[in-house]
Amino acid sequence: MMSAVKKSIVVEQLRKAQMIELLSKEKRLDNRGLMDFRPVIIETGVIDRANGSARVQVGNTQVIAGVKIEIGEPFPDTPEKGLLVVNAEVLPLASAYAEPGPPDEDAIELARVVDRGVRESQMIDLSKLVLIPGRKVYAVFVDVNVLNTDGNLFDASSYATVASIATSTMPKFYVDQNGQIKQSNEIIPLPIKGIPVSITMARIGDTLIVDPTSEEEAVMDARITLVFDEDGNLCAGQKGQPGTLNFDQVKTVANTAKVKAKEIREIIKGGITEDAKG
Amino acid sequence: MPEVERKYVTPGELIAEGSYKPISNVIRIKDKLYATKVGLAEISHEGIRVIPLSGPYIPRVEDLVIGKIVDYSAFSWEVDINSCFFAYLSAQSVFGRDFSPDRESLLKKFSIGDLIYAKVIAYDRTRNPLLSVSGPGLGRIPKGEIVKISPAKIPRLIGKKGSMIKTIESATNCKLIIGQNGIILIVGTPDGVLLATQAIRMVESEAHLAGLTKNIQNLLSKSKEVQS
Amino acid sequence: MRELIDEKGLRIDGRRADELRPLRIEVGVLKNADGSSYIEMGKNKIVVAVYGPKEVHPKHQALPDRSVLRCRYHMAPFSTDVRKPPQPSRREIEISKVIREALEPALMLEEYPRTAIDIYLEVLQADGGSRCAGITASAVALADAGITMRDMVVACAAGKVSGQVVLDLNDMEDKEGEADMPVAIMPNLNQVTLLQLDGMLTPEEFEKAFEMAMNACRRIYEVQRKALMDKYFGKGEAGEE
Repeated sequence: MMSAVKKSIVVEQLRKAQMIELLSKEKRLDNRGLMDFRPVIIETGVIDRANGSARVQVGNTQVIAGVKIEIGEPFPDTPEKGLLVVNAEVLPLASAYAEPGPPDEDAIELARVVDRGVRESQMIDLSKLVLIPGRKVYAVFVDVNVLNTDGNLFDASSYATVASIATSTMPKFYVDQNGQIKQSNEIIPLPIKGIPVSITMARIGDTLIVDPTSEEEAVMDARITLVFDEDGNLCAGQKGQPGTLNFDQVKTVANTAKVKAKEIREIIKGGITEDAKG
Repeated sequence: MPEVERKYVTPGELIAEGSYKPISNVIRIKDKLYATKVGLAEISHEGIRVIPLSGPYIPRVEDLVIGKIVDYSAFSWEVDINSCFFAYLSAQSVFGRDFSPDRESLLKKFSIGDLIYAKVIAYDRTRNPLLSVSGPGLGRIPKGEIVKISPAKIPRLIGKKGSMIKTIESATNCKLIIGQNGIILIVGTPDGVLLATQAIRMVESEAHLAGLTKNIQNLLSKSKEVQS
Repeated sequence: MRELIDEKGLRIDGRRADELRPLRIEVGVLKNADGSSYIEMGKNKIVVAVYGPKEVHPKHQALPDRSVLRCRYHMAPFSTDVRKPPQPSRREIEISKVIREALEPALMLEEYPRTAIDIYLEVLQADGGSRCAGITASAVALADAGITMRDMVVACAAGKVSGQVVLDLNDMEDKEGEADMPVAIMPNLNQVTLLQLDGMLTPEEFEKAFEMAMNACRRIYEVQRKALMDKYFGKGEAGEE
């Protein structure tokens, strides 16, 4: 069974025992409480060539997202909506276990869950991004690059996506008398309806924790990500890993995550207004 | 006392000119000696060496290392020793020459995630390092906390004739087991382990600076004051 | 045709012919990588990670007497004016090869037989001269990883714009100028490890541009050295006890 490539970290048995002992006392290896996030740092406007950008650190996990807005054709089944495409890549820079190449199933899942959170919360009012219905719309591309992995890529990628969208600007286009698309001199923001917030939790044995590190993810039995809009509605959810959650745990997760989402929303908003000032 | 000149160097930098002997991390081109790593250059009549501040652990025969079991076959365990290569511990060396290949027995003895204290018994440019756990104090590590530092800093952590290690051990009432591969095991009370970890981190960040011994002593005695 | 140099001899970003763009290098910016660095050169923003020396997979790709050096230069989709799809383009593949060959002479790969050393460059924002900035940052990341190097490698481009030989072309000058010539050197051993030319230069212009690039490389080398010294020796004096 000598595998040619080690796919993920092997957590030392002693370390795992330590982790479990601490969890029974409601503490974690890095001294956090079960429901404590690591420090979340959000910087926006880091790539001035992009329409919007954000660099997010959740503990040692580091992610950068960039928004590029172009004029394109809408999806055939939504002719009256602008285009939104979210891509995510775990760069080979991010860890010894990340290989260069097209996104694998984990990266694709990451991109799609982040996309759902933004799309279903209707963070961007896509109906306001139409120039010629069925033919020409604004197309918003968000590319998320993970630079360093230490667990909880879902939340870090979501915060970077959301912060970069919320601080994006673009030239205003209009349709002239001849039906041609023209660019005006006006710079406008994307039409934003609110900030969705992603909260990821993990189950290790009988204990639920928020914001797992790489080590905790290597040991966890199940993971669940929930995304909340500003009204406290759930707009996206994804359970991961082969382990299960019982009904009580699902309820606990939903209630806890809703509260954490409010906290994190303040941090994201703080990071966004910093950019407006600077 | 032999005079030793010290200076910080980066790769490619000219350290000195003359008939010095290149000892380690130094190359000689005609009569010029250049550094090949970021580190502290020491120039003396013995020659010139550069103590690197980073770099992988390169195993040497007789080194004692702390390794993590990451895989196994019917014949051997694969061990992560924080080096460029995985090391191997043969089942025969553990169970005896008459052992017949059997994955079940291997898994029962050492399982994935176990830590072992082992000796490097073979390593050369043509093969992965080979380990042995036959010897006093070697084998599976049953308890303790692990701290990882850059292998380049281990000599400084041990100190002259083990002085630095003894200082930390007695001040924290802990037992420290040091792997040449940059991995250290600490066994003691939670407070002792915390203090020992702080001391080790201080050695790691100040290994090349003058006054480290004093700073360590200050750190250890300050804690004692707080405790009492 | 747009005038790229005005009557006062100033370029579109206000620089003189032999002026470098603002330059900044940080060392050790990524926690998981064995070595890493970040560079800003004008509007270029590039992050580099080094992993290795490490085992080679698949095993048959390993060399018995030295390490295999692998290099990946990649531009993030948001790094350019028009969004670039994430898949590697032919240009990125060529640049990956050229960067690898520029760094290889400086590395003592014989010290690590049967291993691989991986260099990953990610261009977060591009503005002309990204391969040179990438090479400069890569050498710093390799030194940060503690890989044995006979010298650093440092790179800069010179070229011709509006009939004049200029240093360190930005994106517009690269696109609309007459020639662009990236150069990389090992500054202590005085060896050239990269030389490319895109465009047309007379022999005299070539010499002038080459000399200009070489001198700039030496200035950039000082920034590399300082970045490494600051990270490793930032506080205090060298000593033993």
